[in-house]
Amino acid sequence: MPLPVLRIEKLCKSFGNTAVITDVSFDVIPSEVIVVIGSSGTGKSTMLQCINLLLRPTSGRIFLEEKEITAPGVNQDNVRRQMGMVFQEFNLFNHLTVLGNVTIGMVKVSGIPAKQAKEKALQELERVGMAEHCEKYPAQLSGGQKQRVGIARALGMDPKVMLFDEPTSALDPELTGEVLAVMQKLAAEGMTMIIVSHEMGFAREVADRVIFMENGTIEEQGIPDQIFSTPRSERTRKFLSVIRPGKSV
Amino acid sequence: MQAFYTMLQFLLPGLGVTISVTAIALCMGCCIGALMAVMRVYGGLVAKAIAVCYSMVVRAVPVVVLIFILFFVISEFVDLSPFMSGAIALGFASGAYQTEIFRGALLSIPQGQMVAARGIGMSRAKAIRCIILPQAFRVAIPSLINEVSLVLKDSSLVFVIGVPELMRRAQYASASTMEPLLAFGTAAFFYIMMTLFVSKLLEAVEKRFAISF
Amino acid sequence: MKEFLAYAKMALPDLLQGTVVTLELTAGALLIGLAIGLPLSLMRVYGGRLIQPLCTAYLTVFRGTPLLVQLFVVYYGLPEIGVAFSRMTAAFLTLGCNSGAYQCEYFRGAIQAVSTGQMQAARGIGMSRLQGIRHIILPQALRLVIPAWSNEFIAMVKYTAIVFLIAVPDLMSKAKILSSQNFAPIQTYVLVAMIYLVLVGALGLMLHVVQQKLAVPGLDFGMDKR
Repeated sequence: MPLPVLRIEKLCKSFGNTAVITDVSFDVIPSEVIVVIGSSGTGKSTMLQCINLLLRPTSGRIFLEEKEITAPGVNQDNVRRQMGMVFQEFNLFNHLTVLGNVTIGMVKVSGIPAKQAKEKALQELERVGMAEHCEKYPAQLSGGQKQRVGIARALGMDPKVMLFDEPTSALDPELTGEVLAVMQKLAAEGMTMIIVSHEMGFAREVADRVIFMENGTIEEQGIPDQIFSTPRSERTRKFLSVIRPGKSV
Repeated sequence: MQAFYTMLQFLLPGLGVTISVTAIALCMGCCIGALMAVMRVYGGLVAKAIAVCYSMVVRAVPVVVLIFILFFVISEFVDLSPFMSGAIALGFASGAYQTEIFRGALLSIPQGQMVAARGIGMSRAKAIRCIILPQAFRVAIPSLINEVSLVLKDSSLVFVIGVPELMRRAQYASASTMEPLLAFGTAAFFYIMMTLFVSKLLEAVEKRFAISF
Repeated sequence: MKEFLAYAKMALPDLLQGTVVTLELTAGALLIGLAIGLPLSLMRVYGGRLIQPLCTAYLTVFRGTPLLVQLFVVYYGLPEIGVAFSRMTAAFLTLGCNSGAYQCEYFRGAIQAVSTGQMQAARGIGMSRLQGIRHIILPQALRLVIPAWSNEFIAMVKYTAIVFLIAVPDLMSKAKILSSQNFAPIQTYVLVAMIYLVLVGALGLMLHVVQQKLAVPGLDFGMDKR
């Protein structure tokens, strides 16, 4: 068993008196692809934001390569740099070109010289098939193209793990394919990924492990075949029976 | 404290003048503004040109210059008190800004309203008066309230033609008590109170509008 | 008409001299206002509970009172407590502090118009809050603020017209002298109005060109104000 890249221990998050996540624990081993499923409002996105400390966990511990990142005094910016985050709403920097979006983190955060950053950025854009659009501004791209740039931006930082927060939810159905294809390619290349998604077909095909979340906690987890064919929990079964007819790809 | 009390006695009459000048100017500006906006949006070529020129020219010239020009022009023809000349000049200036407020409001009323009004047999003029303007006025209310505090502040400018409003009174007070800081500070205090009142009013109105829309 | 032209020809050199002072005052006040308004807006948006009331107080005072009152407090009032300025300094300071309050509000509006997702994404690639503000939020906000800022520029030209009341030799000051020397107030002030009209028109055109130059696709200037 290889050492986990990421270890989450008893993660809890509440806003005021409302507990959104309670007692979530799991490990992520290198190159593992985890897809988190569950109905809306069960804290999946909140969990992702806690993992890269965009939200401060209320309690619990998170380890990145054996180092506790929730310990006091840890440089949070440095932690986030090592985890790539892809947002549902893309959040591309509107004032920068596609190329600028990918290079700005490398230059301003990692301190890579501009010329080198540009070369690397072009490579990453090539990876997501967006290199020929590198001079365009976000407003000139389709949703799928934006999200591919969002992925390239995250890849540019050489993350140890990639977090995807419903990366295709804001896209028209005909545009989800190009984004999923890029993610599948990354998975094949051995990228470690945690993906919150409603794309059951994708989960089944690409995930090494599926986590089903309900009411802010992990209800059931396992390999896709087991979860989708013989779910142990009644709630999982219910969720899948509701979502499957329409949503499966 | 005694000094502040004396100061209040100096300034209070000016407060009344400031408020009256502002009120007259606002009413006048409202009439001009509504008329010019209708001319601008619904008028023919000539009416449109007049409205555009008026609004552009007046908004490009400092209010104090307008006050001087109108004060001297008016005194060529009729014998008006500085108070009335000042109020008219401010109203003339505010009219241009209110034209823009009303124009925005008129343009925000959907085309269908006019079509529907004509459809039930109203004339164009009647439709504007009975259907479009009442709606536009409601839309314009927040901006109009904002205009109140702008005109309130601009009213200090009629000082230059000798209207005994707050600033003029403050100047008397400053000269006779030799305490300019207290005099102008007290005037400032009055203005802050008035503009705060107006902005609270605006908040309240916006809250009501937020519910009703 | 002929009479007016002759008078204009005589008065114009003096008036143009005053116009230069008016433009100097405008530029100076805008710069001072920028130096005050931008940091103030950042404090208002990102500042803690201690700083925010201070900002609010500043804004209430400078936006809630007429510029004329501010000018008189600074020029006539402050010497009473031992803070005396020359006419020119008093004019620059008052106009600048006043503009700072308005610019603060324009910048605040622009900063808040940049979506929260932008900051999230900036933090997501490892930027600190400060880096996020500097590299992501401000570059966008500064573009968004251009229309409002252009209006402030034009408004400032007009605001300066009151400084003649403390005898700063601007356009109005010159006009006042000419008008009483020649007993020609109407001609003089109409001439002055025309000069302001030209100034405002020219600046409007210039700023429009600048806006076109700085445009970025998709970052539109949707917050035009009066």
